[in-house]
Amino acid sequence: MESEQPDIDDLSVVDAVLIEEPNDSEIMTAVSPRQAIVPKIEKQKRNENQKHYLLYFVLPFIFLTAALLGGLRLSAADNSFIFLKPALFCLIFASVMLVLFFRSGLIQLNGWFSESFEMAKNAANAAVLMSLFAATVQLFNSLLPEQGLPFWIVAFCFFWTLWNNLFADFDTKKLLQSLGGLFGLAFVVKYLVLANLTAPVSENWLRSIIENPAQEAFTWLLDLPRFSAGTGYIQFFAVVLYLIGLFLLPPTTENLGQNREE
Amino acid sequence: MKEKYIQILGVILSVGYGIFIVFLYAAEPRTLEEVSMKAKSTVENAVTKGQVIAGTYEIDQAKFNEGLQAFRQDNFVLARDGFDKADLEKRDSKTQFYIAYSFYRQGWGRISNDDALFKQSLDTLSRVTLLDPNFRSDDANLQLRTPVELKAELEEGLKVTADDFNPLRLVRERK
Repeated sequence: MESEQPDIDDLSVVDAVLIEEPNDSEIMTAVSPRQAIVPKIEKQKRNENQKHYLLYFVLPFIFLTAALLGGLRLSAADNSFIFLKPALFCLIFASVMLVLFFRSGLIQLNGWFSESFEMAKNAANAAVLMSLFAATVQLFNSLLPEQGLPFWIVAFCFFWTLWNNLFADFDTKKLLQSLGGLFGLAFVVKYLVLANLTAPVSENWLRSIIENPAQEAFTWLLDLPRFSAGTGYIQFFAVVLYLIGLFLLPPTTENLGQNREE
Repeated sequence: MKEKYIQILGVILSVGYGIFIVFLYAAEPRTLEEVSMKAKSTVENAVTKGQVIAGTYEIDQAKFNEGLQAFRQDNFVLARDGFDKADLEKRDSKTQFYIAYSFYRQGWGRISNDDALFKQSLDTLSRVTLLDPNFRSDDANLQLRTPVELKAELEEGLKVTADDFNPLRLVRERK
């Protein structure tokens, strides 16, 4: 006991490792990288959620609205609604269009349906593609003249173009440009050229012939239906909605939600 | 929201919106006001068809009584309207028998019968036979209580025979 006493009293030399006690600011600096990660993950989650909302809510809504508007016409007499059901041709053209989408890579089938996906995801993807098909059918319903010689001529032009496209090498951008051109031209033909050739509705047959002889002749010869001018506006929005939907459509849904899992 | 819920909700909303569009193209309403009217009638039809499938279908008794009252007052057009509204699905043999009988009574004439109405009566009667081959009316005011009797009377009325020129036919009575 007596031998240890001088060592305790002599405190001028301490044999120990120096430990620095960090202050508050230093602790904050050390933790800050982790704090920066948390909002980043949350932002990523929000982005992923937005992608899901876009794919499973917005896209079907856009396509189904285009489908709703595609067959809607307004009567020339009283602006009442006329719902035109699509002709068989429209279904055939829409099927060819979907094949074109698959071929060009606009839609990668194995990225939309897979055994590795959950059933809900496969079903939701099927709903999106069904709405795309419905919109495509109704788009042709919108752009094809309703009856008579113009119907057959425009239907043949559509068929010719789509048939040629089936055997051409396409990338997504070229396909979208081609379709934009095709639909734009068809819209101009139907809602600007043919609509202006159609005579307005008149109760007096003789008077209408005297006032609009050329239009009456074209209406009779080409069997043109008389619709209100509002029909063109509605169909314009139907075509624009459809093209917006195509622009927003992802080629694959495989990567959706992958980041979150990681 | 969880990814799976978004997908399920997306499917439900898409299907709902799709059904609405199909309904619009099937019902073809001409104005926005007509949309609600057509929707109401479509729902009513669907409910009635559901009742038929479930085997719980029943006629509207109040409308049937209105039709019966008009039938007994010889107002056959109003009677048929009541019977038609009472039996929307045309699945009640009793109501259909009354409809057939109303065509017979309206078409019956002392000198000549209305062939068109008699033929409509026969058409309705064939439905009664299909619904209930052993049907027998319990209405004491009807002289022809079974489809067979009524059918024989109608077929007799549609034929042109020498008996049609018998002056005694003028004193015959409607059954």
